[in-house]
Amino acid sequence: MNIVLIFLITIFSVSLFFYGKSKTKTISIKDNIKLNALPKFYGYYLVLWCSIPALVFLLVWSLFEPVIIKSIIIETAANQGAIFSDKNEANLIYEKIKAIHLGTYFGDIDSILRESALAYAKFINLFTNSKVVLIFGIIIASVIYSLKKIKNNNKARDDVEVILKGLLFVSSLIAILTTLGIIFSLLFESIKFFSVINIFDYLFGTNWSPQRAFVRDASSITAAEFEELKDAFGFIPLIAGTSFIAFIAMLVAVPIGLFSGIYMAEYASIKVRRISKPIIEILAGIPTVVYGFFAALTVGPFFRQVGENLGLTVSSESALAAGLIMGIMIIPYVSSLSDDVINSVPQSLRDGSYAVGATKSETIKQVVIPAALPGIIGSVLLAVSRAIGETMIVVMAAGLAANLTINPLESTTTITTQIVMILVGDQEFDSPKTQSAFALGLTLFIATLILNYIAQRAVKKYREKYD
Amino acid sequence: MSKVKIKSKNLNVYYGDKQALFDVNLDLNEKEVTALIGPSGCGKSTFIRCINRMNDVIDICKVTGNIEMDGMNINDKDLDVVSLRERVGMVFQKPNPFPKSIYDNISYGPKIHGKGETKSELDQIVENSLKKSALWEEVKDRLDEPGTSLSGGQQQRLCIARAISVNPEVILMDEPCSALDPIATAKIEELIDELKKTYTIVIVTHSMAQAVRVSQKTGFFHLGKLIEVGKTEKIFKNPDNKMTQDYITGRFG
Repeated sequence: MNIVLIFLITIFSVSLFFYGKSKTKTISIKDNIKLNALPKFYGYYLVLWCSIPALVFLLVWSLFEPVIIKSIIIETAANQGAIFSDKNEANLIYEKIKAIHLGTYFGDIDSILRESALAYAKFINLFTNSKVVLIFGIIIASVIYSLKKIKNNNKARDDVEVILKGLLFVSSLIAILTTLGIIFSLLFESIKFFSVINIFDYLFGTNWSPQRAFVRDASSITAAEFEELKDAFGFIPLIAGTSFIAFIAMLVAVPIGLFSGIYMAEYASIKVRRISKPIIEILAGIPTVVYGFFAALTVGPFFRQVGENLGLTVSSESALAAGLIMGIMIIPYVSSLSDDVINSVPQSLRDGSYAVGATKSETIKQVVIPAALPGIIGSVLLAVSRAIGETMIVVMAAGLAANLTINPLESTTTITTQIVMILVGDQEFDSPKTQSAFALGLTLFIATLILNYIAQRAVKKYREKYD
Repeated sequence: MSKVKIKSKNLNVYYGDKQALFDVNLDLNEKEVTALIGPSGCGKSTFIRCINRMNDVIDICKVTGNIEMDGMNINDKDLDVVSLRERVGMVFQKPNPFPKSIYDNISYGPKIHGKGETKSELDQIVENSLKKSALWEEVKDRLDEPGTSLSGGQQQRLCIARAISVNPEVILMDEPCSALDPIATAKIEELIDELKKTYTIVIVTHSMAQAVRVSQKTGFFHLGKLIEVGKTEKIFKNPDNKMTQDYITGRFG
């Protein structure tokens, strides 16, 4: 039904566009007046007036219709003698009624349910009909209003600008509200988690074993269980593992990325640059899961083999393998961004340096790199936040055990990996184990937020210098 | 007649397929200011960039013919460009101080060439260069501040100080005052007058008045050709060539 309505609104709007355009043209010719805007603006004006109020109404209606119907149905069912003790049971009955209406319910149907299903059908019908009537009413009212405006030769151009500005504003508002929504959902679930687990136990605990808390109701927790849970959610091994793998990745990505960026920007001829830059950027387009199985199936076993030959114990899932591959994945970010910032260092600075007799490498080392440094730092920090947020490679190549270790040959794990582990499969949503994922997500979010903030400040500082 | 410092013979420059200079024969006298004038794109800047081989930076640029300094062939493939540029300094159209402190801007060149091994020697070089470029009094208490914090005119004098710091013999100036206001321009011109006692100076300029004020010799370029060269007085009062006459009286260009 809604799709049909949207389709009708669209068709109607489009035809109004042409109507408005030709109508104003004839008005201007007939009465020999100068229009306040181009004829097409009157067309836009009609389109916007015809579609926006109707679409907004449709959206709001669709949001509230199910809620209202549900409360009415549950109330009628209660009046007819249905018994339910809490909200969940009421929901169950409502779902049954809906299923009967759709013909997909195969259980026993008693008289209460049958009556309610009939009532449900009646309400659905009523609501749909009134929706259609109201929408057409709105369209007719707004079209009459806007047609009247057009006849008076209003300043359609200005009005269209105002409406478009409003549309753009709403779009950005949606983007911001979505982000806020995500943050709040993280925040509320985390608060639930921290009501069971002390925040200091979480932040400073050195043992991470959430499986101990498996299928346990947070509300009915006993004192003994609480003691046991206390040291199951220690954050330290995860942040240590995350930083450790990110550090290894940076050891690989920063030198290689930076040097290749310098080569691209300063030494490579136009031809080499045109070919090799896209090739490096292809690295950024490879799905991380592909890197992941490359790390797990090729690099990890290779390291173990080499390690065994050297007489070392190497876990086949090691921080080294994951960090190395992650570093390779990040190279294009560092190289491409630092290439850009080095390129935007003005040629005049290089000329100034050459003119006092500096060689190319002296110029790069002492003039170009210092001038580009804030931008380079920015690109490195962005790469770090990429490394911290990376999941797939670690899941596949670094293992799942939360070891607190600084030996790169052992397996370790990261925040994101643990979130995946916790939420894969069926979960009780009010067990501390599940909620801990939200706490981890929140911590990770805050960490990357801080990094991104610093990175953007650094990049901004760089921009101010040459503008 | 003073000694000839730089001598170009049949100098041709090509940017890819496009020829930018045609058989330029021009002598620059020692400890004199030579002004190069002419409409935009006529090859003045290209010419002075041949003197310190700055055209090397441009991949597609090719230079043929002869250009000599004190009998040494500048265009020689085996010439050490670094030591050439140590002897031939350059000041650019737009002030281009490095994003470093005032002190580091000046000490950059000497450090690269291994001059001023101790801190006090380096301090001395910085002080002398800034004094010679008439900037010392204005900046002596804030040598740690970034060079970019100075005003446009001060920045250009800083760049002149930077060029002087490696103790060159020749200073090339590519429209050094085009980005400056009249007061800063006057200061730079005064400075050029002072500097010519020690250095051979070549200045590219779009201002006839400036050429008259600062130079002893003037060369007029048009479409990559050196049309006329002679004593500044003669060029501006009584040029031989009709085109020069037209240009300096503002009839074209």
